[in-house]
Amino acid sequence: MRNLVANARVAWYAVVSGAYDYWSIYTLKSWIFGWCVRMISQVSFFALIGKLLQSDAQTEFFLVGNAVAVAAFGAMFAMNMTANERGNGTLSLLLASPSKPVVVFASRGVYVMADGVFSALLGLFILGPAFGLHFPFPRVLAVIPLTLLVGISAYCFSTTLAGVIIRYREGTGLIVNASIVTLLTLCGVNVPVSFYPTWLEWISRCLPITNGLEAIRGVINGSAWSTIAAHAGAEVLVGSAWLTLALTTFGIFMRAGQRDGSLEYAS
Amino acid sequence: MRTFLAGARIQLQFFRAYPDALIPFITAPLYAVIFQMIFHHAGRQDLTGYAAIAPVFIALWWMALFISGWTITTDRWNGTIEMLVAAPASFAAVIFGRITATTLAGVVSFVEIWVVARAFGTKIPVEHVWPFIAIIIVTLAAMAGTATAMASLYVLARNAATFGNSASFPFYVLGGILVPVSVLPHWVRPLSSVVFLSWSADLLRAALRPEPMHDFAFRLGMVGVLGACGLVAGLWAMRVILQRVRGNGELGTT
Repeated sequence: MRNLVANARVAWYAVVSGAYDYWSIYTLKSWIFGWCVRMISQVSFFALIGKLLQSDAQTEFFLVGNAVAVAAFGAMFAMNMTANERGNGTLSLLLASPSKPVVVFASRGVYVMADGVFSALLGLFILGPAFGLHFPFPRVLAVIPLTLLVGISAYCFSTTLAGVIIRYREGTGLIVNASIVTLLTLCGVNVPVSFYPTWLEWISRCLPITNGLEAIRGVINGSAWSTIAAHAGAEVLVGSAWLTLALTTFGIFMRAGQRDGSLEYAS
Repeated sequence: MRTFLAGARIQLQFFRAYPDALIPFITAPLYAVIFQMIFHHAGRQDLTGYAAIAPVFIALWWMALFISGWTITTDRWNGTIEMLVAAPASFAAVIFGRITATTLAGVVSFVEIWVVARAFGTKIPVEHVWPFIAIIIVTLAAMAGTATAMASLYVLARNAATFGNSASFPFYVLGGILVPVSVLPHWVRPLSSVVFLSWSADLLRAALRPEPMHDFAFRLGMVGVLGACGLVAGLWAMRVILQRVRGNGELGTT
């Protein structure tokens, strides 16, 4: 019990510290005119393909998929927090402390993930009506917790990759960006999962976003709640698996870095 | 010219040292896969040319924003800018050499994207070969000019870098790199007309179609003029920056 309280306290401080980091990057003005405009443009970019194809169904498919994907992107950007810890030279202090580094790393980016989820919902509910979509109310409210679920699941995946970044810091940007576009490619964001070859469909179902996004599409399209619950359950399972992998592998990457002294380098 | 080439050479060495510089070469083919999948799934093989053009612009624009745009800023961070400014060689020539090398490296993405298209069983015939080559050359020059403006603006205005980081998708939409400007709402189109990407993307798509290209010289000229505007603005801002930081002693301030 004492351990749990201590870990919760460490996690809380990590969340607050991450929030301060985040707001040192963005002011309210740059968040609105920088990040928000970018996010709205990104979702519009894909939704406009539906207009090019002259298909309302495709427009909805692209808009919903890419808006929800923004929640996952926020989670993936949180990986940069790991690199910052190392770049700021505070990683060695963290290692020397009695708390578990994975608790800190799993919490520091929560704020970025939460921001991603908020942005995704903002994108969905601003651009949906702008593109002429009608969301069924109050059913559509179920999209809010499901988007949060996608964000959390992607964050678990991101924490796993953060372990890799600890080991190969110089590849941070490459790993973050390549992961984001890979998720965009493989997670049924722009084409239905059934379009992929069977082996790729299985890979897709083991990644965050895919199952949660199907649940969200189900909510909007009026699918049975049992189907939606099955997809949501699959997303919970995938997120938990990635979190377990993160907890298992993080220590391995850290110890490897400690052994060869490579954790010490600051940018 | 020697200074320009020296700048280009050092930039190519940076490519080897920093894996982040390879990001567009990983992401552009993935975007090509996404766009090819979309048009194949929709049964619109007639639009696969669009799917091939857009990722090239994504790669080139990314390099302009995130590599070329940060050229002067990283020199300040690395503490090398003082030596660069004190050297007898032209500062602008070094920077422009580095930016040109980065922009030219972006041509690799053309090859990648054509390979992706082939993997999807799509042939992308270039119907107007010489205009196509001319458009590529002028587009690369305009991209380098725009990147010069960004490199200077990032230093001149502190917030510009934050906004620059977000300037990818807004310009992909305004530039009509995948969805032509004619599909955008009417009120957006005047904004698009001052973004060289919109002229360039339209021309490249036209070069892939067998129909004759109308007003080719004028449209190509617009790409060149808008790129030149970026270059002039960038060189002007660079001069202002150097005068300012020499005056207040903040040249190496990070």
